[in-house]
Amino acid sequence: MSDAPFRNPGWAGNTGEFDLSEDDVRGAAYAGERPPEGRHPSTSASYPFMLVERDPYAPLFEGRHKERYEKIRSRYPTAMAALLPALNLAQELRGHISPETMDEVASLLGLSSAYVRGVATFYTMYNKRPVGRFLIQVCTNISCNICGADEVLAAFLEHTGTELGDTSDDGNFTVVEAECLAACGFPTCVQINERYFEDVSARDVPNILKRLTDELAAG
Amino acid sequence: MAYPYRHEKETRILSECFGDPSARTVAGWKKHGGYQGIARALEIGRDATIEDVKASGLRGRGGAGFPTGLKWSFMPKNTGRPHYLLCNADESEPGTFKDREIIRWTPHQLIEGCLVGSYAIGAAHCYIYLRGEFFETTQILARALEEAYAEGLVGRDIMGSGVDIDITLHVGAGAYICGEETGLMNSLEGRRGEPRIKPPFPAAVGAFGMPTTINNVETLAATAHIARHGGEWYRQWGTDKSPGTKLFCVSGHVNRPGNYEFPLGFPMMELIEDVCGGMRDGKALKAVIPGGSSVPIMSAEDCRACTLCYEGVEAAGSMLGCASVIVMDENTDIVKQVRRMAYFYTHESCGQCTPCREGTAWATRILRRIEDGLGTEDDLDTLIQISEQMTGTTICVLSDSLAMPIISSIEKFREDYLALIRRGERVGAA
Repeated sequence: MSDAPFRNPGWAGNTGEFDLSEDDVRGAAYAGERPPEGRHPSTSASYPFMLVERDPYAPLFEGRHKERYEKIRSRYPTAMAALLPALNLAQELRGHISPETMDEVASLLGLSSAYVRGVATFYTMYNKRPVGRFLIQVCTNISCNICGADEVLAAFLEHTGTELGDTSDDGNFTVVEAECLAACGFPTCVQINERYFEDVSARDVPNILKRLTDELAAG
Repeated sequence: MAYPYRHEKETRILSECFGDPSARTVAGWKKHGGYQGIARALEIGRDATIEDVKASGLRGRGGAGFPTGLKWSFMPKNTGRPHYLLCNADESEPGTFKDREIIRWTPHQLIEGCLVGSYAIGAAHCYIYLRGEFFETTQILARALEEAYAEGLVGRDIMGSGVDIDITLHVGAGAYICGEETGLMNSLEGRRGEPRIKPPFPAAVGAFGMPTTINNVETLAATAHIARHGGEWYRQWGTDKSPGTKLFCVSGHVNRPGNYEFPLGFPMMELIEDVCGGMRDGKALKAVIPGGSSVPIMSAEDCRACTLCYEGVEAAGSMLGCASVIVMDENTDIVKQVRRMAYFYTHESCGQCTPCREGTAWATRILRRIEDGLGTEDDLDTLIQISEQMTGTTICVLSDSLAMPIISSIEKFREDYLALIRRGERVGAA
């Protein structure tokens, strides 16, 4: 590991060889705020992210979100191909994909409920039940594992007071084990909602959780 | 520049702008020669572009190493049907983290590569299939794509050439198997990401039933440079059978992990000891997985003379894969790590083929039993037998990908397995 002071929470550009801020690494300044109706249709499907506040009963694909869905649909030769983007959009609004949500998406796309059920359950990123405001996914695959990912996972469970996959009593945290997140040079990699936290060690965990709760308090 | 560490020996083609946020914009990328590749391709025409890529000898960077120019030349001509280019950005092979760096630092490098590829194969629409976890990376690419559309680099009549090429970002939802090219096509179409039987090959019947080519992010990025400079230019690096430069993703117990770009044929020990600053805490090297978790494990001895090119790693008994070098020191518990990989393949098996669905699951259970000190020597024979039945018997190579680390680890680190078994016997666990 580098001798540079570790400035977690965490991204791996702080080796002292680059003059980078966290925003530079995350690309936040360049990417900018993404409007919910999407900009160009080519990128309208690029928003499968977890909002901190979500409503399990939010109406699906109305207003601006309908506009976004129409843009997405225009990019594919078949309605079926818009299924994954539509489920992504539903999860963004509602936080998870319930059987009822699957049925609604099915009727929107003209597919059978059973078919959508079959597809939705194939993919791990669709939360089949509600999760905490922050979904903490700790990679424990090989590259992270040999550098101590099991301890990082244990630390997240300990400091959130939860069992694997369960949500903390305050509804803030759900900790799960993730498969390789493609940041193997920066172990342990942890994905929290839409953000990657890199180079996380067990001792960084309290800092990260504090940052998250501070963000919640700040709204 | 490598990221997050640099080394003076690197050859920086793909990675020139890693760690430089100013290269994310169209203007920034053009300062580095951006969009000259597609301009030259449009000038010399489709066939000449394919010939250039053929002449470069570029091999697919997603793991299989199939010659890219040859793959492009399989696409039928004048069919009157839509053709598709799919960019595989579903990077999820354990140990691999190069595509994410390419996209987040140089999104236009990928967009340009997609244009070159689409133009060469006659595709009017390219889908970039990004893994769902890459939210931040995807936002950078989305912004870049919007910029490229606004500048007339993508869309109708690109750069005033009369050629139409659309690019659409398609975001997956978390399934390793969607990185397999036919699984990816199914997922794009809104199906379960289950691989398809080949033939028919994608060039004949691909996405939406149309002629399709699927290329990895790094492959397409390289074609942007080849289109700009020509095929012979690319051959100044690398070996005869493995031309060009490659990103090496080094992870594990080294002092300076990260991405480094070198000509293929770079010596493995030099990469570990010099470029990556040697082993952490001065420990001894125990094992290396040279190409992502799906290839045979190498012992420290195997690494001594190994050069990192397709033929060099093969001669050392493994495969280059996507050049994801996972370095393990003397304290590594090989059995635990093989079990962790086995669990991964169990989780990610799509379940279509019995040898894979059952084989991965049972291998994980047996490995867990050995790890817990409850194994016997017969278990090793059973694991080998299961692995052999998982090789070449399924639609895709996911089950082969687990068989290889299991067989190679038992061959090379049998003592590690036996030590756990004997310790279990001593305490009377078995």
